Amino acid sequence: MKRIVFMVVCVLLVLLPVSIFAGAQEEVSEEVVTLNWWTINSEDYTAEVQTALAREFEKEHPNIKVEVTVLPSSGFGQKMNTALGAGEGGPDLAFFWTTAWYPEALDLTPYIERDNFDTSMYIESFWKTRAVAGDKVVGLPLGVGASLVMYNKDIFDAKGVPYPENDWTVYDYLELVQELENKDVKAWGGDAPRKPFRALWFNFDAQPYSDDSMTVDGYINGEGMVEAYTWLWDLVNTGAVPSTSDLDTLSSEGTGPVDLFLAGRLAMATLNQGHMLTAIDSGVRFGVVPEPRVPGNDRYCNAWSLTSSIWKGTEHPDEAWEFLKYWVGPEGQRFIMNKGHFFPSISSVLAEYEGADKDYVQGFYEVLNMPQVGEWLGTHLSAGTVARAMQDVWDKVILNMVDRDAIKSELEAMMPAAQKALDESRERLGN
Amino acid sequence: MVLKSFFATKRARKETRDGFISILPWIIGFIIFFFLPVLKSVYYSFTEWSFMIDPVWIGLDNYRYMFTDDPLFYKALSVTFNYVLLSLPIKLFLGVMLALLLNWKIRGMNLYRTLFYIPAVVSGVSVALMWMSLLQPDTGIVNTLLSYIGIQGPGWFWDPKWALISVASLSVWRVGGSAVIYLAGLQNISPQLYEASEIDGAGKIRQFWKITLPLLTPTLLFQLIIEMIGSFKVFTEAFVITGGGPLKATYFYLLYFYEEAFQNSNTGYASALVVVLVIIIMTFTAILRYTSKHWVYYES
Repeated sequence: MKRIVFMVVCVLLVLLPVSIFAGAQEEVSEEVVTLNWWTINSEDYTAEVQTALAREFEKEHPNIKVEVTVLPSSGFGQKMNTALGAGEGGPDLAFFWTTAWYPEALDLTPYIERDNFDTSMYIESFWKTRAVAGDKVVGLPLGVGASLVMYNKDIFDAKGVPYPENDWTVYDYLELVQELENKDVKAWGGDAPRKPFRALWFNFDAQPYSDDSMTVDGYINGEGMVEAYTWLWDLVNTGAVPSTSDLDTLSSEGTGPVDLFLAGRLAMATLNQGHMLTAIDSGVRFGVVPEPRVPGNDRYCNAWSLTSSIWKGTEHPDEAWEFLKYWVGPEGQRFIMNKGHFFPSISSVLAEYEGADKDYVQGFYEVLNMPQVGEWLGTHLSAGTVARAMQDVWDKVILNMVDRDAIKSELEAMMPAAQKALDESRERLGN
Repeated sequence: MVLKSFFATKRARKETRDGFISILPWIIGFIIFFFLPVLKSVYYSFTEWSFMIDPVWIGLDNYRYMFTDDPLFYKALSVTFNYVLLSLPIKLFLGVMLALLLNWKIRGMNLYRTLFYIPAVVSGVSVALMWMSLLQPDTGIVNTLLSYIGIQGPGWFWDPKWALISVASLSVWRVGGSAVIYLAGLQNISPQLYEASEIDGAGKIRQFWKITLPLLTPTLLFQLIIEMIGSFKVFTEAFVITGGGPLKATYFYLLYFYEEAFQNSNTGYASALVVVLVIIIMTFTAILRYTSKHWVYYES
């Protein structure tokens, strides 16, 4: 018996220091918090740059480890929907790029107040459209982008046509596409819009329904809407712009007709700031202007920024906020800007951009200062449903299946379906 | 009666038990990953629900709206029915014809069989993009070839009159997959039957109608059901190529479902759409099964 007791005591004596050591180890490892960051790989912020950014952050915050999960852009939405919908397995931080996810984002207001975080550093229009939803701050805006019209200087010079100026109009555009078209080399004068209710439509003062989301009457059949569709009809009928089938088969998926532009087959193309930098790498001589205005109306732009948020289900909100501040703050955005094709959303950092004095960058900045269609679309969530209900008018104009004079009656014929879609959607989504 | 035989003797009981234990992993997987999600979908179809907001029970409202107030539901349904009617005969006819060719005993047949099967394993998106280029109205190879013989080709995917036909004709591309199944059916037919009929003086055509086709009907029934279900579920082609247009000519049922669920945050209604589709498919499957006793010939 004594022997057994002696053996047990010996074993315990051996195990004690081991367990103390293990406990200490556990204590140390408990101090390191791991954050899950879901992101995508894009030309503006590559996976390598983002991973490098996380490692830089970890150097300054040894108690926080950032695990970077790079998802394909096409699958990102579905993975977020599934995780946020299930309420478990979501990332600590991610891009909350659709308003449908905003209810699942952590409200950053208390953290901003606690740390006196200066939100005025962000370009105001992007802060308003991409960070704030109602009385909640759903994220911080990362980077900026916008649609703009790029024109090929060589084609303009060859035709002896003066370059467009910032103040140009949609009617100038109609004339220019015809002057610049070159059938001998299968080159078009410009491109045609792919869908309504973007900057051009808002320039025509053509919004799908009333601000209070109650009626489509006076909007779908309004003067601006008729004018916008008539302009589209005129543009299609110039024959100087690529058809839908041309654009479907000759454009890179989801990126606009950048390949056609770079190949010199489009004298003007509605592209974005990323394409601008691609064109520089390709050695194309180009200029940049905002999308054309409509005389007498306000002028808008399609612009975007990525709402970078903390999931409200995170177990480490404080650590996630620390990383978010770094990632989307001046330090992080400067880091990404210096390593890639990226324009930051912070004015002071944007001013440091290497080619800030270049005319195309100045053209881009010009666009950023315009009012954004996102302000209206971001707060009127039924727009997509109403647009779908009136899609047939668009198709008929694009396919040249409607007379110019019949556009108004075609729009009026869409009103019952559009009103029904608005009523159903408003009841569900609230606006 | 059948159940009784499972438990008749001690040995039968043991075998039954062992059998169930063997398939238990599959049953558990089936219940967790298939049956319960299906039940949950049915539940969601009675709710107003988006991914981010908890479901609220609304009874039959989704179904009431669908059947009485939703023009897009009927549009999507009719486009899908037309697609099924158009593509199913093409797939069946060409599948059988190709299987008959692949059943010939000629040199290098295994290579031909492999070549015809390859398209069936190519990603749907790649196939769609390839056909977009081939059928491009101005620069596509199909219209270019047609122009050589003086025919002005249509607008294919970009013409409301031709879009559905174009999408349906894409199914021809995958016919090699079903031809392999028919081929297996053809090779199950006993050669003695052909020999006996030859002695009786039957020619090839008569053999096809009197021997091949009747004995192929079980395979035909199977393929008919599988292809019908696949046709009702058509999505990728429209999603990649046409987006449901032009003028909603290819606005397929699952495309409508996708828009409602993932673009319109109307997930409860989308669940109801899927439940209705499942009922439609089950009904047609039941009709085919019921009528099969009049036209399917089982050798046994």
